[in-house]
Amino acid sequence: MDEALLLKGVEKTFRGHLSIGSHHVLRGVTLTVPRGLIYGFLGPNGAGKTTTLKIVTGLLFPDAGEVSILGQGLGDGSVRARIGFLPETPYFYDYLTGHELLTFMGRLLGIPSPRLVERIPVLLRAVGLLGKEKLQLRKYSKGMLQRIGLAQALLNDPDLVILDEPTSGLDPIGRREIRDLILELRAQGKTVFFSSHILADAEMICDQVAILIRGKVVQEGPLEDLLGGEIQFWDVTVRGAAGMVPPPGCSVLTRLGTQVLIRVDREEVLQDLIDRSRAEGASVRGVVPHKISLEDLFMSHVPGEGSR
Amino acid sequence: MKSGNSGAAAFQQVLALASNTFKEATRSRVFYILLAFAVCLLMFSSAMGFLAIGSIRRVILDMGLSTVSYFSAMTAIFVGIGLIYHEIERKTIYNILSKPVSRTSFLVGRYVGLMAVLLVNLAAMTVALQIVLSVFGSFTPRVFVAAGYIYLELLILTAVALFFSSVSSPVVSALCTVAFYLIGHTSSALPELLVPFLSSLWAKRLVIGLYHILPDLNLLSINNLVVHEIPTAPGFAMRALLYTVFTVGILLLAAALAFKKRDLV
Ligand SMILES: Nc1ncnc2c1ncn2[C@@H]1O[C@H](COP(=O)(O)OP(=O)(O)O)[C@@H](O)[C@H]1O
Ligand SMILES: [Mg+2]
Repeated sequence: MDEALLLKGVEKTFRGHLSIGSHHVLRGVTLTVPRGLIYGFLGPNGAGKTTTLKIVTGLLFPDAGEVSILGQGLGDGSVRARIGFLPETPYFYDYLTGHELLTFMGRLLGIPSPRLVERIPVLLRAVGLLGKEKLQLRKYSKGMLQRIGLAQALLNDPDLVILDEPTSGLDPIGRREIRDLILELRAQGKTVFFSSHILADAEMICDQVAILIRGKVVQEGPLEDLLGGEIQFWDVTVRGAAGMVPPPGCSVLTRLGTQVLIRVDREEVLQDLIDRSRAEGASVRGVVPHKISLEDLFMSHVPGEGSR
Repeated sequence: MKSGNSGAAAFQQVLALASNTFKEATRSRVFYILLAFAVCLLMFSSAMGFLAIGSIRRVILDMGLSTVSYFSAMTAIFVGIGLIYHEIERKTIYNILSKPVSRTSFLVGRYVGLMAVLLVNLAAMTVALQIVLSVFGSFTPRVFVAAGYIYLELLILTAVALFFSSVSSPVVSALCTVAFYLIGHTSSALPELLVPFLSSLWAKRLVIGLYHILPDLNLLSINNLVVHEIPTAPGFAMRALLYTVFTVGILLLAAALAFKKRDLV
C-alpha cells in the first residue's frame, strides 16, 4: 500500500431543504496521492476542493465512491489519528491562547502531558510563533492563525498532512514561509496534500497535482508531465526594423518607435524571422521562450476559455 | 498507533472538551453579566417578601425558588441550543472532529461542560437566596436540597436542548425546548383538569395515557414542599433521580444517533 490517499468516483450532492435546491458538487472525484510527495489539489473557487477535503477528514459523508486514507477506509475514523488537517481559513476558540489551543488539541489527540510539554515549543518554533503563545487567539493576525492552525495539524506527527488553501490570504512573506514549511514536511517523509487556487505557489513546490474543475478531476500527474518541456511560443524583440514585414506565422504584439515585439509559435518561423531581420539590418535584441504554465493548463480546462 | 476510540481515550477527550466548554463560558463577559443579573433579580424578587402580608419567610422562599428555577432553566435552554450550533457556525468543530474524536464524545463533552457552568450559576443563585433569607433570620438548609432538584431539571432541559440542536436550527430548537419546558410543568395538571369533565371511560384513559407519555418536570420539583414545609414522600428522591438518568440517557443517545451521520457544512 504505497498511496497516502486514494479517491475513487467520489460523489457529493448538497440538498437544500427542498429538493429543488440540490447542488451536485462532486461528480466522481478520482485521484491517487502517492506517499512522501507534495500533492497539489488545484482548481478555481467553487470547484469542490473544500468539499473533497471535508469528506476525507470525516466532516462530510460522500454519496458514492471510495476513500482510502493510508490504506484505511473512512470507517470509524481511527485513521484520523495519523492525519493532520488545516481547515480553510481556520477558526479557533478566540478566548484561548495559542498555547492553550495546542494543549487542548493535544489532549484530544491523546498525547500524554510530558510529551506535549516537549512538543509544543518545538512546533511553535517551527511555525514561527515562539513568544506569541501567551496571546489570546483573538489578537492573532490572519497569518498567525494560519500558522497556529498548521502547528495544531502537526501535533500528532501525522503521516499525511491535509491543508485547505494554506497560502490564501497571506502576504508574500507569509506564503513563502508556508511553502518552506511544506517542503520541510516532505523532507521529514510526510505526505502533504493541499488545495489551492494560487497556481504560482503550487508550481513552485508540488511534485504532483490534480486539477479539479466543477467537481471532476480533469488532469492528474507529475507536474513535469503535465507542463511538459515543450516551448509554446517565443516573444522576439527586434530593433531597427520599422518597415520590416514579418514572415507569415508571426504576429506583431507591440511597436515602440523602431522596436517591435513579435510572437512566434513555430521554430522554423523563428529561424526565418531571425534570418530576415539580419538581412534587413535590424538587430534581434531578445528571444524569450514560453513554456506552458500551470495557469495555461488551468485556463484550458475552465469552461468558456477556448483550449489552445 | 493506538486507536482513539478506546474507552479511556474517549473519557480523556470528553474531559478536555468539557473543560474547554467551561472555559468558553467563564471567559465570556456575558456569563458574568448573566450571573450578576441573576443574583440581582433574585435579591430583588425575594426582598419583595418584605412588603408582603403574612409570613415574610414564606414569600421570600416562594419568590426566590421560583426565580432560581425559571432563570436557570432559561439559561440552560438558551445556552443549550447554541452548544452545537455555534461550533458549526464558527467552524471550530472542524478542528475537533477532524481529529480522532467521535461525534458522541463531542456531544457528551459539550453537555458535561455546560452542566458544570450551570452548576456554578445555580450555586451562586442559591447562595444569594440564602443570604437574603439570613438577613431576615430565616436561613433554610432545605433550600440546598431544592437547588439539587432544580439541577436535575437542568440536566434534562439541557439534554433536550442538545437533542433538538443536533437535529435542527437554533430557532426550531428554542421553540421545541421551550415547549418541552411548558408541557413539563403543566402536564401533571392535565388529568386533574380534564378527567372530571370526561364522560367516556376511553377518553379518561386517553388523557391519563397521554399524561404518562408527556414529560412531567413537576416530578422533580420540591419548591412548593419547601415553601410550605411539607416533607417529601418516601422514595421521591430515588424516583426523581431515576427519572432524570433515564430521560437524559435517552435524549443523549438520540442526539448522538442523529448527529452521527450529519454533514457538517
Ligand atoms: N453546504 C452547502 N450547500 C450547498 N452548496 C454548497 C455547500 N457547501 C459548498 N457548496 C457549493 O459547492 C461548491 C464547491 O464548494 P467548495 O468545495 O467550497 O469549493 P472550493 O473549495 O473548491 O472553492 C460551490 O459551488 C459551493 O457553492
Ligand atoms: Mg475551498
